[in-house]
Amino acid sequence: MLIRPVVLLMALLVPFGHAFAGDNAPKRIVSTAPSVTEMLYAIGLGDNIVGVTTYCDYPSAAKSKPKIGGMSNPSLEAVVRARPDMVVLTTDGNPKEFVARLRSLKIRAYVFKARMIEEMPMAVRELGAELSAGKRSADLASCIESEIGVFKRIHKPRGKALFIVWPEPLVVAGGGSAVGDAMSRLGLVNVASADEGGAKSSYPKFSLEEAVASAPDYIFIGMSMGDGNNIKELSRPLIKRLKNTPAAKNNRVYFISDNLYRYGPRVFMGMREMLDLMDKDASASINKKGCVIE
Amino acid sequence: MKRPDKTMVLLILAFLVAASAMIAVFGGPRFINPFSMSAMESEIVLMIRLPRVITAMLMGAALGAAGAVLQGMLRNPLADPYILGLSSGATLFAAGAIISGISVIGGFTIPLMAFIGAMSTGAVVGVLGYKRGGLWPERLLLAGIGVGFLCSAILMLMMSMADSEGMRHAMLWIFGDLGSADWPLIPYGAGLIAAGIFIAEHRRRGLNSLMLGDDLAHSLGFSPRKETALLFTAVGLLTAASVSMGGMIGFIGLLIPHIMRFLFGADNRLLIPASAMGGSALLLISDLIGRTIIHPAEIPAGVVTAIIGAPYFLYLLRRRDVLGI
Repeated sequence: MLIRPVVLLMALLVPFGHAFAGDNAPKRIVSTAPSVTEMLYAIGLGDNIVGVTTYCDYPSAAKSKPKIGGMSNPSLEAVVRARPDMVVLTTDGNPKEFVARLRSLKIRAYVFKARMIEEMPMAVRELGAELSAGKRSADLASCIESEIGVFKRIHKPRGKALFIVWPEPLVVAGGGSAVGDAMSRLGLVNVASADEGGAKSSYPKFSLEEAVASAPDYIFIGMSMGDGNNIKELSRPLIKRLKNTPAAKNNRVYFISDNLYRYGPRVFMGMREMLDLMDKDASASINKKGCVIE
Repeated sequence: MKRPDKTMVLLILAFLVAASAMIAVFGGPRFINPFSMSAMESEIVLMIRLPRVITAMLMGAALGAAGAVLQGMLRNPLADPYILGLSSGATLFAAGAIISGISVIGGFTIPLMAFIGAMSTGAVVGVLGYKRGGLWPERLLLAGIGVGFLCSAILMLMMSMADSEGMRHAMLWIFGDLGSADWPLIPYGAGLIAAGIFIAEHRRRGLNSLMLGDDLAHSLGFSPRKETALLFTAVGLLTAASVSMGGMIGFIGLLIPHIMRFLFGADNRLLIPASAMGGSALLLISDLIGRTIIHPAEIPAGVVTAIIGAPYFLYLLRRRDVLGI
């Protein structure tokens, strides 16, 4: 007696199941990190984004997307309310248990794991495959590959450098960060990298006397968006205390934009910026365009 | 127990502080030979290690003395600037100044804000702890815990609303960090601490009388209210100085007076200077450990004092003879 309703139900459900299987491209994507947001825009999925973090400020269109909280504390409720068919997270800043919570709510989630520049083309292709944006992501990946090649060609030893993320307490970019990776690709020796006897973590709270003793030739101070003046003001006492480093003596203490902080195509813009500060000739010899999609 | 000779005890402690300071200045993560320093090494010693070591000495002294005064005054071995919420109040006001950017006005802004914070928190806690003509130690402690939680919660709220970097900045302050210690703040801190210790030392007989209870203090010729107010001001000065130089560092104010009282007895004429010196030595060593073990990365000194202090405090809790003043 029950067979008929069951068959009917199955008959009704099959087309839906089929539709799900056939068109896997997410239409509503939530991003839980600024770097992920940029990556999604770069592979042409900007219009499908229905939620970003409060820190997502690039490209400027991202600023007007609905907010789902911060990077370290995204709101599960806000994510659910955005009715996403895909949430893209990163291991670099999102809480680990958040993925499990999403999956327990049957929300599809993809975790972006790449952190180093070498891994970027592969990671972009994989993200594109996951989000059915194969064509655009393949284009971006090969553009990134050519970018990597550009910086390989102009690579030569340029001395020691320290990249300051926050002046007080002193937090710097270590070897395990994309910033540290970018520095070594420019031929700089990152004095805070573990290979140079520095710290193991990506962004260590660093010893001030080590900053002096390591005698960096260049000091870069990163400015995060909207916070530039604050950083300049806060860095003043620190710069004074580093006045006897080769960097300060030769006027090579530079403030630099937040390009390098965003793991994605903008990293190469940050590298161009850094190169331009150090070596105008080398910088003039490479194209200015990069792969950034606004 | 035989009363130890005051001069002898203080000399030994002074030697201990001096020895810790020497190790902290020349040992550190990298040994620097004081007799043959390169230009860079002398710069490191003069511009980085010395201000840091002096800051640690001053902060440790302030915390140790503040703890000794509070514990005697309130006749409660659990009293210290943290338990009573004074540090949270000082931190809230100082961090508020940093987050809102008032800090650029001048070097004295932060110590002043911290002092206002400590004193106003102290006043609120005092009012809440006051009943039927006197301060009730238990009420005072509970009020302190409550007000301290409230201040911490407001601080967290402010940090959540501030941008991510501002938050990280305030975050390290909560743990107490000496990594950025520099000369400019030292005169302000030293001034406040000198004033605080001077008042405490000046009123040490009053403090001794308060330890016997308000009635006895009265019959000995001291006004409990006046003594309490003066001593509270001293604690406020000491707390403000310590917080504004390096944030919240816990357990020194609780631990050191215990150890000193255990070793040398409860007489405040000896206890206050001994706790100040003991606090100096402990913070010097804690900071040295913090900047050495994972060099060139650093651990905030407050984390080290908590790791050393908390187990020792728990051990002390089990010894009732030590806790009973």
